[in-house]
Amino acid sequence: MSHHIEEMKAAHRLLAEFTYERYPVQRGYTNRTLYINLSDSTIASKPVSEEMKEKFTGGKGFGLWLLWHGIRDTTKWNDPENEIIISAGPIGGITTYPGTGKSLVVSLSPLTDSVMDCNVGGYFGPYLKFAGWDALEIQGKAEKDVIIFIDGDTGRITIEEAPLEPVDTHLLTDILVQMYGGDDHHARRAISTVTAGSGAEHTRFGCLNFSWYDLRRRAARVKQAGRGGIGTVFRDKRIKALVVKFSDLKADSNGPADLARLQRVGTKMHKEIHDYDDQQCGMRRHGTAYLVGIMNDYDLLPVHNFRYGSHPDGHKIDVRVWDARFTQGVPDGCWYGCTLSCSHAVDGFTLRTGPYKGQKVIVDGPEYENAAGLGANCGIFDPDYILEANFYCDTYALDTISIGTSIAFAMECYEMGIIDKRATGGLDLRFGNAEAAIEVIHQMGRGEGFGTIIGQGVRRMKKIFVEQYGADPKILQDIGMEAKGLEFSQYMPKESLAQQAGYGMASKGPQHDEAWLIFMDMVNNQIPTMEDKAEALHYFPIWRTWFGLCGLCKLPWNDIVPPDNALTDEPTKIPEHVRNYVEIFSAVTGRQVTSEDLLLMSERVYNFQRVFNLRMGFGTREHDKIPYRAQGPVTVEEYESRAERYDKQLKALGYDVEKMSTPEKVAALRAYREKQYEELMDAVYARRGWTRNGVPKVETLQRLGIDYPDVVEIVRRAGG
Amino acid sequence: MKILATRPERCTGCGACEIECARTWFKVDDKEKSRIRIFPPAKEGQPFRIVVCNQNGACIDVCPTVALKRAKNGVVQLNKSLCVGCLSCVGFCPNQAMFYHPDYTEPFKCVACGKCVEVCPEDALYIAEVAEAPASVTDTWLQKEAI
Amino acid sequence: MTVVAGQSPTIVVNGTRELPWTQGMTVRDVLRLCNFTYSLIIVTVNGRIVPKEEFDTFPVPPEAEVRVIHLIAGG
Ligand code: SF4
Ligand code: SF4
Ligand code: SF4
Repeated sequence: MSHHIEEMKAAHRLLAEFTYERYPVQRGYTNRTLYINLSDSTIASKPVSEEMKEKFTGGKGFGLWLLWHGIRDTTKWNDPENEIIISAGPIGGITTYPGTGKSLVVSLSPLTDSVMDCNVGGYFGPYLKFAGWDALEIQGKAEKDVIIFIDGDTGRITIEEAPLEPVDTHLLTDILVQMYGGDDHHARRAISTVTAGSGAEHTRFGCLNFSWYDLRRRAARVKQAGRGGIGTVFRDKRIKALVVKFSDLKADSNGPADLARLQRVGTKMHKEIHDYDDQQCGMRRHGTAYLVGIMNDYDLLPVHNFRYGSHPDGHKIDVRVWDARFTQGVPDGCWYGCTLSCSHAVDGFTLRTGPYKGQKVIVDGPEYENAAGLGANCGIFDPDYILEANFYCDTYALDTISIGTSIAFAMECYEMGIIDKRATGGLDLRFGNAEAAIEVIHQMGRGEGFGTIIGQGVRRMKKIFVEQYGADPKILQDIGMEAKGLEFSQYMPKESLAQQAGYGMASKGPQHDEAWLIFMDMVNNQIPTMEDKAEALHYFPIWRTWFGLCGLCKLPWNDIVPPDNALTDEPTKIPEHVRNYVEIFSAVTGRQVTSEDLLLMSERVYNFQRVFNLRMGFGTREHDKIPYRAQGPVTVEEYESRAERYDKQLKALGYDVEKMSTPEKVAALRAYREKQYEELMDAVYARRGWTRNGVPKVETLQRLGIDYPDVVEIVRRAGG
Repeated sequence: MKILATRPERCTGCGACEIECARTWFKVDDKEKSRIRIFPPAKEGQPFRIVVCNQNGACIDVCPTVALKRAKNGVVQLNKSLCVGCLSCVGFCPNQAMFYHPDYTEPFKCVACGKCVEVCPEDALYIAEVAEAPASVTDTWLQKEAI
Repeated sequence: MTVVAGQSPTIVVNGTRELPWTQGMTVRDVLRLCNFTYSLIIVTVNGRIVPKEEFDTFPVPPEAEVRVIHLIAGG
């Protein structure tokens, strides 16, 4: 350990200590959760009831349940009662199947003021469980910066005041793996950290970085719990870092009921990836970055704040460029045994700007969202900028999705003259101005300038622009790509009604992890009727919720498919992989389940989260609305860029387009599309067992077995 | 470097090698625990299929914990204390010659010890000297300075 | 769908997209015309699944109903 790390360590002041006997994991659960209150330095063990396991399964389910009981209806994101909960779920931490090491993070969000959840890689959640805890629940606020250290090897937990370490992730993670892991690289792999960064302190969309250890580079790498500003909550609680240590990871650390069964299904899956990933998505070669070119080809890549779906320069940031830059030659996974290995990095990247200018760094990614959001959506098609921005977003702990959509919005406002240089502090925020964009990011890190306004997110920017610059709230509502307070992720939903609803009706806000139906709907035309769409919007969000209950990654479900998948009844569901998950859940927990059982687990939690939104004052129909930019062309310019497509639709509706002016056509199309969206909401609510106002009916809660008195009370009040 | 080489056309499928291997390394008579596997001919007239590691090292770059390394004598060795039993190496072995058994959390492979050669009555197995394998990507990384 | 005399034949992709049929048209041609660049797809021509290896050669007859199902599922 180097001298300066010794010094930092010596400056730690012990605030609280707790020792415990490490409970072995039994069938995926330790049956205890760890409660920490930073206001009074409490550290306590809480039991996990059978009811909690049966009804909420784990992961996000546990997070929601604990948060539900930890806060009041009036709690705000920066109140001490707000919590951050991290849980791996019962399957999380097995090593024999790809994509099984996710942590689920739950908290009240500074962007949405309601409940937020993130699914993130790295070793933290699994190590936390193997250290003895099904979940970590942090409440309260520390007075000064603290590190929480959970030593699963010795059964000791400490809260330590930590004044000297820097907060930015790339520095801090590196220091902590050395401080707590020592000099041996294999010992460092027993450490995982959760950190934020300076940007999280000055914006509302701070993310959390979860570390894993790259034994080939011999360096810590990170994955982001990006959405909804949980990193901001983390820094608000004055948490500098969470550190967990667990050294004896084995294939049976998760205490599976039937290891043989896990090994069988796992080796089959590894072989499938070995045999087919190359010809299918090439995740091992380039991760999700391959999507940039595809989205551009299908007119789905957001360009200029979602005005358009493609750009002639799209190819400048597509997979060929990243392929040439990714340097490892060995695919990386964010958890052991993930042969899909979507993590990629660019090594030896020399930073050109900011406080770390001149440093040679590893840049994780870019993943699709980063290239699309930081790049295309801001009209910047410069790979070096994207790498630089990607690096700084990670180390400052800024959600690349929210930041991309927020900068794009500010740029459009600037180009429309809604804000000018006086507002931006001299920044020339034109689309495509990479220099201005990177300066905005640095301002967020420093906590100064217009960057901190953009850092409030689109919803609050709209308010500020109206109040301070007299902007027309209607146009801002149309072009501000947020719903529920969360910024849209980077897929253009304009031509897919189902995707619009997938975004609009998602519990936490417009993130695509619930329903990603663009292709199924718009390209494949597999769900033509309202009923078909409603069914898809019932099934897929429910199914995808299940990954978050169990600690799983979604990618190995459908970014690789068995060769005979095409011949199955429902290829989009990937039936063989669903059967694999049935196997895994049964093998870990010893409960023989069916695929219907998996859906039931999810449907419960899904409905519970909806009620949670209601409890916080949201969760009804009005909150499922989306800006018109997500539904169709807002401006004449947008209409005319794809006039053929829109004219055709109007003709089919019986309009005589030859006789109409473009503004008339824009209005006619809008009226039609908005009506369609309303109709789809009706259909989906009905399918989900909700009222027309989007409230789960009491009978739905009863059917699902979550008709707890307080839950029913909330639903009743909302007319459920 | 040395490897266990085969002459499948001589193999009669007696399974003596499998038993010997299991005895040598796991002290049991269970073929399921052997590091060499003999499969009956796919079609009549074809030879038995002998599946065993040829030390090509494809698994080295798949292992998340760098538990697989080429030893000085060229044999790919699995360090059990580092292995987390993910079985990635099993799925990614181009020869399907990395084996596992539910009694153990780690997989196992042939280390060219030559024990089975001694018991094969048909001389279908032998230890061969072959050219050095090229360095794995992992080796290249590990020769660099840590980042 | 029936061929109307005097009208040039077409094909229909995914139930909505009408394309002119051309002599010797293959699955590959259809993919190119639609700019379907994504690789994980299932193609059927008049209900019959076309193996990937045959995209370059598989003939698409006039008035064919072609389905191109993209198995793609977002990040
Ligand atoms: S597919 Fe990627 S994100 Fe998912 S577990 Fe594997 S490495 Fe992590
Ligand atoms: S099973 Fe062990 S040796 Fe094989 S890849 Fe996994 S960790 Fe490495
Ligand atoms: S050479 Fe040794 S390790 Fe390899 S199969 Fe024969 S007995 Fe087993």
